[in-house]
Amino acid sequence: MNESSNNPDERLDKHLDDHLDDHLDEMTLMLYVEGQLDRQRAQQVSAHAQDCSSCRILLRALERESRLLTRSMLEEDEPLPSRLAAFQQTARKSMQWIWGAVVGLAATGAYALYTGYVEPMQQRFEQAGFGGSSVLNLMIFQGAFWKGWQSMVTLLEVLALLTIAGSAVVFLRRRLRGRGSVFAMMVAGIAVAASIPSPAMATEFRNQGDTIEVGKDEIIKGDLFAHGHHVKIEGTVDGDVYVFCQGADIEGHVTGDVIAFAQMLRVNGKVDGNIRSFTNTTWVSGNVAKNLLTFAETVNIDPTGKIGGSVTTFLNTLTIDGIVGRDILAFGNETTIAGNIGGSIRAQGNTLKFNSGAQVNGPVKFKGEHAPEVSSGAKLAVPVVFTQEEHHSRYRDSGFYVWKVFWIAALILFGLVLFVLLPSFARATVDSAERYGASFGLGVLVLFGVPVAALIACITVVGLLIGISTFVLWIAAMWFAQIVVGAVVGQWLMGHTRETWQLIGRMAVGVLLVRVVETLPYLGGWVKFAVLLWGMGAISLAIYRHFSPGRTATIPVSPVMPPSSLPPNTTIGSPQPA
Amino acid sequence: MSSPGIAEPTEAIARAKAGDALAWGQLYHDYAPAIYRFCRRALPTREDAEDATMEVFMKLKGKINQYDSSRPFSGWLYKVAANHCWDTLRRRKIRQDKETEDSDELPLEHPDPSQLDRLIEQRSSAEVRKALACLSKRARMALVMRYYSDMSYDEIADELGVRRAFVGVVLLRARHELRNALEGNAALAAGGNA
Repeated sequence: MNESSNNPDERLDKHLDDHLDDHLDEMTLMLYVEGQLDRQRAQQVSAHAQDCSSCRILLRALERESRLLTRSMLEEDEPLPSRLAAFQQTARKSMQWIWGAVVGLAATGAYALYTGYVEPMQQRFEQAGFGGSSVLNLMIFQGAFWKGWQSMVTLLEVLALLTIAGSAVVFLRRRLRGRGSVFAMMVAGIAVAASIPSPAMATEFRNQGDTIEVGKDEIIKGDLFAHGHHVKIEGTVDGDVYVFCQGADIEGHVTGDVIAFAQMLRVNGKVDGNIRSFTNTTWVSGNVAKNLLTFAETVNIDPTGKIGGSVTTFLNTLTIDGIVGRDILAFGNETTIAGNIGGSIRAQGNTLKFNSGAQVNGPVKFKGEHAPEVSSGAKLAVPVVFTQEEHHSRYRDSGFYVWKVFWIAALILFGLVLFVLLPSFARATVDSAERYGASFGLGVLVLFGVPVAALIACITVVGLLIGISTFVLWIAAMWFAQIVVGAVVGQWLMGHTRETWQLIGRMAVGVLLVRVVETLPYLGGWVKFAVLLWGMGAISLAIYRHFSPGRTATIPVSPVMPPSSLPPNTTIGSPQPA
Repeated sequence: MSSPGIAEPTEAIARAKAGDALAWGQLYHDYAPAIYRFCRRALPTREDAEDATMEVFMKLKGKINQYDSSRPFSGWLYKVAANHCWDTLRRRKIRQDKETEDSDELPLEHPDPSQLDRLIEQRSSAEVRKALACLSKRARMALVMRYYSDMSYDEIADELGVRRAFVGVVLLRARHELRNALEGNAALAAGGNA
């Protein structure tokens, strides 16, 4: 009788049927107090309690305990926190007019975007025979209008603009103090950017069947977009040339840049600007005044070919028989030099050969598997600095560990700053990371989807700002992901906490452990991949929750009354049976 | 489980379902204090309770269409809150819970009636609230669901994921944990005063 089993029904039957003359157990009495017994059983318990003083005292104690519990729970011992009371007021102050402005600006921006870009573009496409072009085509050709691809100065201007915009957002955020204000301002900013009218340009589109030709005597003022099986430019283009084709021959004169997506690009003529090519083979036998940047299988600069600036290549085979005015940076399998190089050479790959007739005026650095071959007829200003590609284990290198420690310390410092500056968001992210399935699922999406989306955004006019910002944030998130996972692992080891500094301590321990595991051979790479997936998913989940429409939509708008004047609507418990 | 002193907010709920922000404001105004106190009793810290209160109202947006208006709104709201708090607690695996699970198998000692009566008489509401922090998460959650929001045994069983017949055991064990905590706190206080 003095011990309770885990099956109250069986125990109750036993006691009520056989031992009513004995003391009732505590479970039976509690169920009686709770009103959980049927009428017959309740009557039996009541009758027993009248005769048994010990059970009567226990029954009374349990009743008082129930009342004490209910009273303790329902007492309004503390006011509604100001954060909850201010929840709606903040939203009302900041969000209403901001979102109104956003909608207005977005509408204006969309109209400006359509009239300034989309409509004229459609007309030009139709004139050029690009009727029914795909969205991707549209985006690519829109992107071509933006000259930032060609000028680092413009990129710096964009970065400066971003900095100013960021400062403005921080300044305004302090004043607005709204959760969605920053996001709203960003949307408004984008809408304003979209409403800025585009500069007038003369542009020629050609898509006239298999072969597109610019005749010898023809002069095109402005940029040329050419799309076809074969593109041949024998005349003059006073602007940039964009070619999308299988084979392209530039035999005339281009005063701007040549940007080519082609299987074969031959430059026999004169290009006053740069060449940027994404090709299988690029063949230069003409004169390029500025630089050559190419991603290709093979690049040949003929003896008659001349590049006034530098050459940067990512390819399999590079052969230079002509002249390069400045430096060469080559990542490739085989690099062969037989021409005249005005600057330095920095190459990395399998082989580097200097044939007879080669002349290099600057230093040469080569990192590869085989020592460079220098013909006796080659003239090098200084001997080649060769670094043998080493295949020894990095784990034997002490510098490897020094750098690891340095990076762990930097990562923990980064985490500390984030946790101190954004404690609520950091906690929310760590909590999100504990939703393992959702975090990993979202992580896959974000890790692979965001860079693709950023890339697509970059090739649009307005999207470049968003694309670059997104890409930078994506890289920052990869760091933050390790911190988040570190914090979760730290909590696994040292227990859960809600205190910011305790969480930072756990984060430091966790990050250390995660980074150590990540350095393990074979396993480390997979662990790092999993950590990125998990952490980035958690960050995305936390951001989603922070900015989800549900949050703003559910924000109430009626004023909160002071706690003392709250209606008596919180007395929930019902009276306990006597 | 309905809230005495307040009529069912039928109209506000209907408008909230239609997306009326003012109606959401009314519901928040009427029920946020009660939900905050529920969360404050169930969760370890004030910050947790604040977060949970806001998150419960966030969830309401998505769940409001599931609400059956023939049943009390406050009861349904407490179920949402209980579900959220229990989810939050479950995600935090702490060592104490393992010990609690192990102790489920141990039999409970029958209390001395007079001693229990004295203990209950001497303890205040504030002491009980303080002692709640020492309880295992399941015990704490069960007591809050039963004595704050007056949830039925069926509803508690549903939330905690236990058999209905086991709810009495959970509640009785929770009371024992609470008594131990009350005695422990009193001993500590006595030691501190000595």
